[in-house]
Amino acid sequence: MWLPVLGLLIGLFLGSLADIKIPVEYSNYLSIAVLAALDTLFGGIRAHLQNIYDEKVFVSGFFFNIILAASLAFLGVHLGVDLYLAAVFAFGVRLFQNIAVIRRILLTKWSTNKEKM
Amino acid sequence: MGQKRYFSITIITIIIGFMIAVQYQSVKEPVVRDTRDTSQLREDLVKEKELYLSLIREIRSNEEKLEKYETERSQSKEQILKETLNELKEEAGLSEVEGPGIVINIEHVDEDLLLGKQVSAISPYLIQRLVNELNQYGANQISIAGQRLINSSVIRDINGQTKVDGYSLDSFPIELKVVVENIDAAKKLYNRMEVSSSAEDFFIDNFRLTISEPESGLTIPAYKDSLKIRHMELAETEKGG
Repeated sequence: MWLPVLGLLIGLFLGSLADIKIPVEYSNYLSIAVLAALDTLFGGIRAHLQNIYDEKVFVSGFFFNIILAASLAFLGVHLGVDLYLAAVFAFGVRLFQNIAVIRRILLTKWSTNKEKM
Repeated sequence: MGQKRYFSITIITIIIGFMIAVQYQSVKEPVVRDTRDTSQLREDLVKEKELYLSLIREIRSNEEKLEKYETERSQSKEQILKETLNELKEEAGLSEVEGPGIVINIEHVDEDLLLGKQVSAISPYLIQRLVNELNQYGANQISIAGQRLINSSVIRDINGQTKVDGYSLDSFPIELKVVVENIDAAKKLYNRMEVSSSAEDFFIDNFRLTISEPESGLTIPAYKDSLKIRHMELAETEKGG
């Protein structure tokens, strides 16, 4: 259970150690990718809590979402339309929904646990 | 099942963490904001201005030094002597001179040649008069047929041939080059020569004067022979400081 959190910390540590800086013109892509990754992660957590977690769906969704978001941003840049906003919007909405679902599930679990007590 | 699931999630979280860290770093970079307030800005401005002033002072002192060296160099005895020598050479006609002026061509009147008249040599008297006239009108340097006229130049008849410093004037047209102070003087000279009576004098002797428009870059050659100075002695210098 704590392994993913440990992984996140290791990732943060490695990233800050690596001292990589993305050029300003590409930071849009990375931010979108981060958003997609977070969305997928929270989606995975929700699925896990709802017991409908599928490894293949999760992993493929993770990479596919990242690539899709980045290519959408790329297309937007070349079309002169801020298409990455669409991705931001979509992922943002889904992020909120997922987090809301997770919260509700956790709340119900907590309340049922309390009742049992 | 559980182990494998956590494993993949861990890898993905590592990637996410990495991405977040990188993004954080790249976004954080330009957030080195200028948080100085007005007085601090003013202080910095004053500092920079002081630096600017000191730089200007340095430039000025360097320029002064440069100027000093330059004047020292130009006022050195050697330099003055050289300049004087050059000036004297120029005055004496020992150096080539370039400047604005006019070109006068003296040629035979063709009509007389057609009529079968004998070609006569040009009289030195005519040329002397012309040169005098030119000098009167402000000519600085004169050359006749490529021969520079200097103060001691003679134009005379030797054995029936008119010669300038020993060089005969027998190939026509004879070209006189006259250099004056500036282009305005050249224009003035041109106008005066246009209306001068020498042309008529020349015509009586069957010569025609053609005067060119003023030119800006006329070159007059240096005096070819060495100056022979006789009857001249070095003045005895008195002892003194």
